[in-house]
Amino acid sequence: MNLFRSKEHVKKWSGFKPGTEAGILTLADAMRVMSTPRHRDRLRPDYVSTVQESVPAFVQRLLEVSHDSPHWDLRPD
Amino acid sequence: MAAAHLDQTYHYILSTLVARGQAPHFTEIAAKFGIPAEEGRRRLRELMAERLPNWLFPDTDLIASFAPFNNLPTQYRISVDGEQKWFAQCGLESLAMTWLFPGKRVTVSAPCLDCGEPIRVEIVDGEIERAEPGDIHFYVDLPIKKWFANLPFA
Repeated sequence: MNLFRSKEHVKKWSGFKPGTEAGILTLADAMRVMSTPRHRDRLRPDYVSTVQESVPAFVQRLLEVSHDSPHWDLRPD
Repeated sequence: MAAAHLDQTYHYILSTLVARGQAPHFTEIAAKFGIPAEEGRRRLRELMAERLPNWLFPDTDLIASFAPFNNLPTQYRISVDGEQKWFAQCGLESLAMTWLFPGKRVTVSAPCLDCGEPIRVEIVDGEIERAEPGDIHFYVDLPIKKWFANLPFA
């Protein structure tokens, strides 16, 4: 789960696995992934007891950003 | 454990990380809530057993990582309004730091794993105000459904 200077740097990286291109996101899309209540609301005093309520919005955001990629699909099989 | 205890313990640990850049020991959890040290340890263990991206250092009761923070240094150095004393769990969680410091400029500084050259992202309240270089990308090889099987690796 790392940041790189460009997409080309991702693909040149020694740890890159061909066939996992779906795991590459732009910085803006990565920021969108981390901007639903699941991550925004961590300082809520009742975060643990309410975190499950934030799952649907997070799942939806992942699907939007990835254009329904299975790589980012958290829905049950 | 009652849900209230989980919420309280979680909030205390996260707030402590925000304030001082280091996670509390379980004895500090105990002191905070006026309970015996062993009860503090139990509350920590029960919280860390929840399905959240947090974990203990193996075979200890020491917090290793508590998203979005890492309690051990990583390459993702976090500065808030120019002060650097935090580390992010990973590149993705480094972006979520902004929500814990409302109204403040959060700067992520890290080396590119491919070339070692610097990456710098400045975020205020979830808005990326500056990114150098301008074409930064994120990458994870594991599909998201497999992350929880081995969070430190993911």
